Order: sequence, then C-alpha cells, then structure tokens
Amino acid sequence: MSNLAVLPIILPLLFGIILALTHNRIPLSRFLTKTFTIINLGVVSYITFRVFNQGTITLETGGWEAPYGIVIVADSLAMLLVLTTNIIAVACAFYAPHSLSERQEKYYFYPFFLLLITGVSGAFLTGDLFNLFVFFEVLLMASYGLIVLGGDKVQLRESIKYVIINLFSSMLFVTAVAFLYSVVGTINMAQIAERVQEVEQQGILTTIAILFFFVFATKAALFPLYYWMPKSYIVPNPVVSALFGALLTKVGIYSILRMFSLIFIHNIDFTHPLFIWIAGLSLIFGVIGSISTNNVKLIVAYNIIPAVGFLIMGIGVFNEDALSGTIYYLVHDMFIKAVLFLIVGVIVYVAGTSDLRKMNGLINYYPLLGWLLFISAFVLAGIPPFSGFIGKLLLLKGALSVDEVIIVLIALISSLLILYSIMKIFINGFWGEKQESDNIKLKSTKGFMGPIVFLLEFSVMLGIGAEFVYPPIASISEYLLNPELYIDSVLKE
Amino acid sequence: MTSVLQATETFLDIAVWISLIAIGISLLLLLYRAIQGPTNPDRAVALDGIGVNLMGLAALISIMIVTTKFNDVILLIGILLFIGTLAIAKYIEKGALIDRDMD
Amino acid sequence: MYKPNNLILRTTTSLIAFILLGFAVYLLFAGHNAPGGGFVGGLMTAAAIVLMYISYGTEVMKKILPINFRTLISIGLLVAVLTGFGAFLFQQPFLAHTYDYFMFPFFGEIELATAMLFDIGVYLTVLGVTITIILSIANDQ
Repeated sequence: MSNLAVLPIILPLLFGIILALTHNRIPLSRFLTKTFTIINLGVVSYITFRVFNQGTITLETGGWEAPYGIVIVADSLAMLLVLTTNIIAVACAFYAPHSLSERQEKYYFYPFFLLLITGVSGAFLTGDLFNLFVFFEVLLMASYGLIVLGGDKVQLRESIKYVIINLFSSMLFVTAVAFLYSVVGTINMAQIAERVQEVEQQGILTTIAILFFFVFATKAALFPLYYWMPKSYIVPNPVVSALFGALLTKVGIYSILRMFSLIFIHNIDFTHPLFIWIAGLSLIFGVIGSISTNNVKLIVAYNIIPAVGFLIMGIGVFNEDALSGTIYYLVHDMFIKAVLFLIVGVIVYVAGTSDLRKMNGLINYYPLLGWLLFISAFVLAGIPPFSGFIGKLLLLKGALSVDEVIIVLIALISSLLILYSIMKIFINGFWGEKQESDNIKLKSTKGFMGPIVFLLEFSVMLGIGAEFVYPPIASISEYLLNPELYIDSVLKE
Repeated sequence: MTSVLQATETFLDIAVWISLIAIGISLLLLLYRAIQGPTNPDRAVALDGIGVNLMGLAALISIMIVTTKFNDVILLIGILLFIGTLAIAKYIEKGALIDRDMD
Repeated sequence: MYKPNNLILRTTTSLIAFILLGFAVYLLFAGHNAPGGGFVGGLMTAAAIVLMYISYGTEVMKKILPINFRTLISIGLLVAVLTGFGAFLFQQPFLAHTYDYFMFPFFGEIELATAMLFDIGVYLTVLGVTITIILSIANDQ
C-alpha cells in the first residue's frame, strides 16, 4: 500500500481545478500550466523509477480491500505509458500558448488539457473494470471540451459525429461490463482473470471478449470502425490534435493489450487470429487513406490507423517478441504522432493552407522545420537507427516465428507506403524554387520548435539507445505473458 | 382484538388497491390530455396533475411496503413539481423564463 | 401589452425559497446514513435559487447573490479533491475516511464523518453546474 500510485491521477486533476480558477488571467495560466506539467513529470518519473526497481505499487483506495474496493495498480506497463503521456503533456503545454488564440485559452483550454491527462493516466493505472469505464468517460468529457474549443462550423459538425460514436461505444462498454459481471460476479480485473479460468461455459466469455474488443476497437480506430476518426481529429487546433492522436487511440490499444493478455486468454485460438486479420485490413485501409489525400493534416491523421494496425498485430501474434514489439511501438508511436501533428500544425500555420498543392519551396524559408519533418518521417517509417525500426523488427520477428507470412508482407509494404505518404509532404511542400514574388511574409516559428525538438529527441533516443530501452520492455512483455504476477500483486499482498 | 386488526388490515389493503387503480386510470387520462391537449395551458395543467398523482402513488407504495423512507421522495417530487409548473406557466404567459429586469 | 401581476408569485417565493433551502441542508446532512447527500442537496438549493430567479429577474438576483457560479464549480471540485488528499497526512490510503461522535449543546450527540466534507464539495459542484446550465439556457437575451 502506498499513496504514490494515485498521484499521477490526482495531481493533474488538482492542477486542472486550480487552472479553472485562474482561467481569465492568461499569462498566469500559461506559467502555471508549464510549472504543473513539469512537476507532474518529475513525480511520475520518480514513481516509474521505483516501479521498475522495486516492483508493482498497488493502492486500495479508501482502505477497502482488494476484490471489493477500487484498486490502483501502478505496474511497469502502466507506468511506462503514464511517463510517455506526461512527457507529451510537457511538450504540449509549451506549444499551446503559441498555437491557440487568446479566446480559446480563456475558454478553459488548460483545465480541459489537464483533465485529459487525468483521464488518460487513470485509464492506464486502474485495476478495476468499471473504474476503467469511469476514466474513459473522464477523458472523453475533456476531449468533448477540447474538440469544440473555438466553435467553428466545421468543428461543430465533426464533433457531433465524434460525440455520438463515443457515446454509443461507452454505452456498449457498460453493457459489456454488466455481462461480464453477471458471469464472473466481480469487476476487479485481477479477480476476473482468476475466475475466467474457472468458468465452465467458455463460449459466453468469448462473446463478451469480442464485445469488449468491439468497444476498444472503436476507441482505437481499428479497421471497420475508423471512419469517424481522421476528420474529427484534424478539425481542432493542432495541439489538441496532437493530444488526441498521441493519447486517445492509444488508450484503446492499451485496454485491448491489458484485457487480452490478462483476462481473455481462455480461447486464444479464436480471438487472437481475428486480431491479425483486423490488423492487416487496418494497415491496408489506413495507408490507402493517407496516400489518397492532399490535405497535410489528413495524411497524418490517416497514419494513425496503420500504426494501431501494427500494435494489434503484435497482440494477435501473442508471443514474447511480438508483445515487446507492441509495447516498444506503442511508446514510439505516442511520441511520433505527437511530433507529426505538432509539425503539421506549424506547416499549416506558416503556409496558410493545409492543401499540399498550394504550398511550395518552404525549405528556403524554414530549413529547421523541413529537416525535423524529414527526420520524423524516417522515425515513423522505421529506417534503421530510429525507433520505428526496432519496434517493427520485433513485431515481424514475432510474427515470422509463428509463420504469419501474409501479415508480414502487408506490414512491410505498408511501411514503405507510410514513408511515401510523409515524404509526399516533404517533396511537394518543401522542395521547389524560392518564389520570386516578395509578398510572402515570413512568420516566426520560434516558440514552436522547442517542444517539437524536445519530443523528437525522446523518439530518436528510443531508437539509438535501444540497448538500454529494450531490457525493461522485454521484462514487461514477460510480465504480461504471466498474468499470475499481476493477480498476485493485487490480491495477495 | 386480532380479528379487528385483521379487518382493518384487509380494509387498508383494499383501499390502497382501489386508490392505485384510480390513480392509474387518472394518469392515463392526464397523459392523453398532456399529449392531445388542444392548447398549451391544458398541457401545463395535465403535467401538474401527473405530478400530483405521482406523489400519491409514492405515498400509497410507502403504505404498502410499510416504510417512511419515501417521505423525502414525496417532498422532493412536490417541490420539483411546483417549480416545474411555475416555469411552464411563466413561459406560456411571458415567453421567457428568466427576465433581465422585471420592473 | 398588459403588465402581469407578480404579487402572488413573489410572496410565495419568499416563503417557499426558505423552506427549500432548509430542506436542501437537511438532505445534505442526512446523506451519510439515509437517502440524500451532496448531489440531491445541491439540486434542491439550485431549485430554490432558480425559483428566485424566475420571480425576481437577473438584475435583482445579481445584487442579492453576487456569486460567480462557474467559480463555485471549481471551488467544489477543489474541496472534494483536497478531502481525498487529507488522508495523505495521516498515512492512510487515498480517500480513506473516518468518523466519531461529538456532543453538541442543544442537539445532543451527533455522528460526524469526514465523508461529509467530500459531500460538501459535491454539493457546491452540483449547485454551480446546475445554475450555470439553467441560466445559460433560460436567459432571455
């Protein structure tokens, strides 16, 4: 028992409330947000360090014992993702003042931002299925606030779609929790995992498992359920898009990873091959979407879909290599999607348009921006020294060891096409002659570059420093393959 | 003595059931008025009547299952009903619920 | 255009609003062991305040109740979260609560629980949210 486990959830909440009180004083809000996110990052780093050295921290809130009360479980997987979330939050806190209009800042951007961090951290840390639903709602509430920030006509049209699809999947989530409760009689994840193995009629559990998969797949934007995602992720401000693209879909993936490595492992032969098929289809359709458009924001938004395809493929293969690949790729993808959305935000800001056909020769004016985009394209596609490569290598190694050749081929081809889709921005937007007309006014990109470089640095380090990053990730995947470790840490202290 | 007690209990039971049926019928009629009602004031009165009947229903049920826990509920329905009716009445008469300046 | 007569409405309002506020406080304090609690207490208070808004109008109410209800939401949340933090000081798990019996003059022995403080936070939040929603829907401008 240690209260440390609840700090990553409760600190952003407290800070968000304080910021709601100061929402009219913009300079103060900006300063406080930066300070608060850095404090939070410090605290989370310390907790992560402790978890990796001394093992899982669990907290029974309110002193109610494990299977009855709500447990917060800070294990290595959850803390790794919470740490990544908070690093991205720091970058976004520094990027936001330059990107948002004063009106948007006044309209409670900073409180909603920290509330989103609360929800995401909570979803990663909780050890109770219903509480997972609650934290999903918390982060969705914050995202509803963020997506309508500014209130353009197109924003409202897309956010209606977003709200309705998410309400529907939340409703289904509660229903699925109720079904599972009626079968196993508990909502504590560790105890569910224990009891699922003892249930005699496994068929009904498989049905419930698929229902859960459907819910999380909607949140994660997997193949048949991604249609709502790209357009509603590009309409808000770039910093909001970066938060959504980096965090929200990944929470869905994390939930699938947790549920299908801890609880629903009674019928692996049926559920997990299904994931591989869905992964293949997500890869194909996402890539087709991203190369078929000329809108730079849409290109990046469509790139989320093949990324979740890669992640779900690792869960589908379900051996140690593939799972470490999934975790590695998950962390990598959170960083790189945030970077790409932030870069694209700057491109749209300096070019004044998001249509690729209308921009030209930007590298003459903004060399740093061009090279950052170039590096991040390499990182995303997985060119060898960078982090995407190691994640993909592990995933493909895992897939080949169980003879899933078709998915490996699809993954390789789609990697190439992902590289092409980002390079298209580089070739069309940045290459080209300096325009002769003098009517181009250079816009300052000073404040934007710091956060982008900061995030890209982590992303590059993840690849170059793979020697140091890989062992802990391998230990996490080993931990995931032995659900008894999780059950023991929650139920038997 | 016991027979008298039993008789009152049977009597109470019958009375409660008759009242329940009567309230049920009046709820149906009020519902018809609330949907059909040719004018808005008709609907307002019908909604008010539905509220009163709900209070009666809660009271009858608290008699049936012998509890006092419903008393707060009845009070609550009454208050919400009062404010709801007031709001509808004011909306019908003035077209706005809350004015900026009344005098 | 005739001028509506508000005399009955205003007279009853000044009477009933107090009954409502009293009932709201009763519900708030009954909440620990009986039906009630911060949520319904907040709703009841909101009902009383909305009633006053209906019969007196925004201008007068701004003078009587100079409260920013949006700030009230934040304050309520702050109270609720800080109650959870209180457990940290006593080396207890987050959100742990305790209670004890106290003797009061005139009232006698009363059970007081720290969960009450959390309920007050909920009460303020619900009050703020409800009034904010109703006022932004119902304003005639």
